[in-house]
Amino acid sequence: MADLKMTAQKVQKVIEEAKLTKSRFCVEEKETQEFTMENGEFSLFRTLFDKNLSVNVFHNQKKGSASTNKFDDAAIHAVVEAAVTSSESAVADEAYDIAPKQDAECFEVGIYEPDMDLLFERTKELGDNIKEQFPKIQVMQIIVSHVKVHEIYWNSNGTELETYAGAYRLTVEFSGNDGEKTTSLNYTGISTTDLSEPFIEQGAIKRQLEDTVKQLKVKPMEGKFEGTVVLMPECVNEFLYYITSCFAGDSVVLEKTSIWLDKIGEQVADSRLTVSFDPMNEKIVDFERYTPDGFKSEPYDFIQKGVLKSFKTSLYVANKNGSAPAKNMSYSMVVEAGDTAVEDIIRNVEKGLLMGGFSGGEPGTNGEISGVAKNSFLIENGRVTTPVNEVMISGNLAEMLKNIVAVSKERVADGGAVMPYIAVDGIVVSGKN
Amino acid sequence: MLEDIIAVKKSLFATGVHTELRAQENRYRRVSLVQGNIMGNQRSETSGICARVCKNGVYGFSSMAEYSSEAADAVLRAATRNALFLDERAAKNKPAIPSLEGGMIPVNMEIKDNEQKKYIDFCKEIDDYIVKTYPKLTSRTVVYSEDSMDKILYTSDGKDGHTTSPRCYIYVFMNSETLDGAPIELYEVFGGAGNFDDNFSKPELLYDKLEKLYKKVMDKRAGVYAEAGYKTVILGGILSGMLAHEAVGHTVEADLVMGGSVAGPSRNKRVASDLVTMVDFAHTALGQRAPLPVYLDDEGTPATDAMLIENGILKGYMHNRESAAHFGMTPCGNARGFEFSDEPLIRMRNTAVLPGKDKLEEMIASVEDGYYLLDTGNGQADLTGEFMFGINMGYEIKNGKLGRAILDTTVSGVAFEMLQTVDMVSDEMVWSSSGFCGKKQMMPVGMGGPALRCKIMIGGR
Repeated sequence: MADLKMTAQKVQKVIEEAKLTKSRFCVEEKETQEFTMENGEFSLFRTLFDKNLSVNVFHNQKKGSASTNKFDDAAIHAVVEAAVTSSESAVADEAYDIAPKQDAECFEVGIYEPDMDLLFERTKELGDNIKEQFPKIQVMQIIVSHVKVHEIYWNSNGTELETYAGAYRLTVEFSGNDGEKTTSLNYTGISTTDLSEPFIEQGAIKRQLEDTVKQLKVKPMEGKFEGTVVLMPECVNEFLYYITSCFAGDSVVLEKTSIWLDKIGEQVADSRLTVSFDPMNEKIVDFERYTPDGFKSEPYDFIQKGVLKSFKTSLYVANKNGSAPAKNMSYSMVVEAGDTAVEDIIRNVEKGLLMGGFSGGEPGTNGEISGVAKNSFLIENGRVTTPVNEVMISGNLAEMLKNIVAVSKERVADGGAVMPYIAVDGIVVSGKN
Repeated sequence: MLEDIIAVKKSLFATGVHTELRAQENRYRRVSLVQGNIMGNQRSETSGICARVCKNGVYGFSSMAEYSSEAADAVLRAATRNALFLDERAAKNKPAIPSLEGGMIPVNMEIKDNEQKKYIDFCKEIDDYIVKTYPKLTSRTVVYSEDSMDKILYTSDGKDGHTTSPRCYIYVFMNSETLDGAPIELYEVFGGAGNFDDNFSKPELLYDKLEKLYKKVMDKRAGVYAEAGYKTVILGGILSGMLAHEAVGHTVEADLVMGGSVAGPSRNKRVASDLVTMVDFAHTALGQRAPLPVYLDDEGTPATDAMLIENGILKGYMHNRESAAHFGMTPCGNARGFEFSDEPLIRMRNTAVLPGKDKLEEMIASVEDGYYLLDTGNGQADLTGEFMFGINMGYEIKNGKLGRAILDTTVSGVAFEMLQTVDMVSDEMVWSSSGFCGKKQMMPVGMGGPALRCKIMIGGR
């Protein structure tokens, strides 16, 4: 790893020789080891050695960027020159900036050296567990990997930050299969630093496998109604991602197309909803410890008791908008638990849908959303009844936040997010006819 | 362009195993102007080398972000070690993949570079024109995006080759508001395979197309919500291409067939009306260069067309060499990796519904109450062929005439059911090639089709 420090020193020297007013770079080495199982059998073992150097310059307030995965002297000179040259063609903008000097720090995150033999055994065990416990599940692919990253960040205000990070990641693609009956393809996964527990016990893996087996009895839904949709945690995560990018992300704030542009400090959601971005949370596996702008990352509330507290914007966009940049740029979302058990949330629904997935386009800036409800079940008179397909839901994301009627006590933590079930009223649910 | 320094390594390939050694460089150029502000201004390259070794049905793979003789030796060693690790523990003992004829596929297209200034100036000129010509827009974005793959491949028992695939595009986004103040956005993509100068000689050549985009935005300002339900629609060529790729194409990728897709039990059965024929083209489509031509895949299989649906009957799948052997079919060159660190996966190339004989005007005139759906921002489908496409531009059809524009909505259905409702197919093809397909890795893909008259579920409000 001394090599990476030497590379960083060389890049710094080349940048300093270029006498740029503002600049930053990030240099990293990454090693991935990954097993793939296809259709229940091991098929591939990959070892990847990657590296990357990215340089951003803001010389005389003109921005240019370049990156390479070569670390030799010629490549370092070339990438700095490419960034400088591209900045020369750019238009000066006072909003470009880098974070002020931060105290030097070296972060150690997760588990840096993997135990590949144990990882192989845990993966094999997962395949065996699914075969034994869920004979009607067809596992198309299990991919399990360990990724370790060593990264050095530098900016021209004197900031030097370093990270050693490593974690295991698992994704499973599966469907229900019973003779000629097939369900939709479903996905689950976790990020973890701990191999002491079988994979099948983690995240929402077991429940998602159970739901998929139930989906083998799926029926097309007839008719149309407006009712309550109970979003499962994986669906909550997806919707909150859309909400963030449609109403609070860089593009919409810069273009001023966000409908929340003047809503900081105002109620945008039901008061039961608190959403934070927290890459350091003990239940989250996220390597971010500093932002691309060079600030040390801190957790922050995005929506606190329904009140919008922050946009999710970079320093540049925040400067353009006259607001503060987000305190971290990760998408590791943690939603505060509510006070109602899932069972009771469902009991209170007369007619609705329990929705496990959403297949739809990323909504536009107006928040209008429509798409197919996947892995979903009808709720009738307080009970989960028929698994349904060919069901479309439509609504508006901003209105949905205000129409939240319950947040569950139970939450799922899969290493990427911590999410409860959330029930929303007033969603149009349409069947085939 | 990559210089070939790995030809000499072929003599070092181990016997008794299948080996691939691939050097690759991917290059990206991007400029994005948001409201005239340069938000993105990037140049990047990734290059390196990878090896894949197959022993008794298991694969070892390794890649290194370095293109050198030493790196080639290192990845060959690591890939072999990984194959042995799995072979010992998994003990699949499968027979070797059938060999292919050897030979060399030469470079088909040069990759050329330009200074970033050229891209920025071009984007600025378009941006200035939009500001001057269309003051009613609330905002606009102009993006130049270029990517290319340059690959040198050596295999133990197939074709070798040096292949390139440059492509470049300009995206223009126009934003406005509906009459009641809700934001709307539409975009258009210009460009295709080849280098900047092949696609963009003068900004003026795009102005007619910008006018058409602007007209759509203005129409959409007065747009109405579609009425939800099962409707007769004309799907424009962009949408039939999306259908070919997302809703049918993925289900007939052999790895997904083995994973339980609906296409498994449907082979040689009717899955569409007899007006529907669907092909995954390799490098030449309907007598012309395909949008993103592929001549050789990353397993050493020369690329040929794959017939998927012929006159409504599901005929075949897309394969890698292993799946072709499994199904007793011929591989057509669909196994491709996106970056040097990616192993080859079964991927589509230029997947299309073939044109028919109907005139679009007559198709529209034939619809009493339905929609003409033109543009989509996205689409998804799954193993069952159940699909959804976001619709961001379309018009009502009332009594055979185009009516008001519609606001964003979604269409959905089950591909092999919906395709059986196709009763008219236009005689004009529309291709798109700017997108990436995501299936573990990214991959540039082309897709296309004529207008189709069919029945489909449309979401309303």
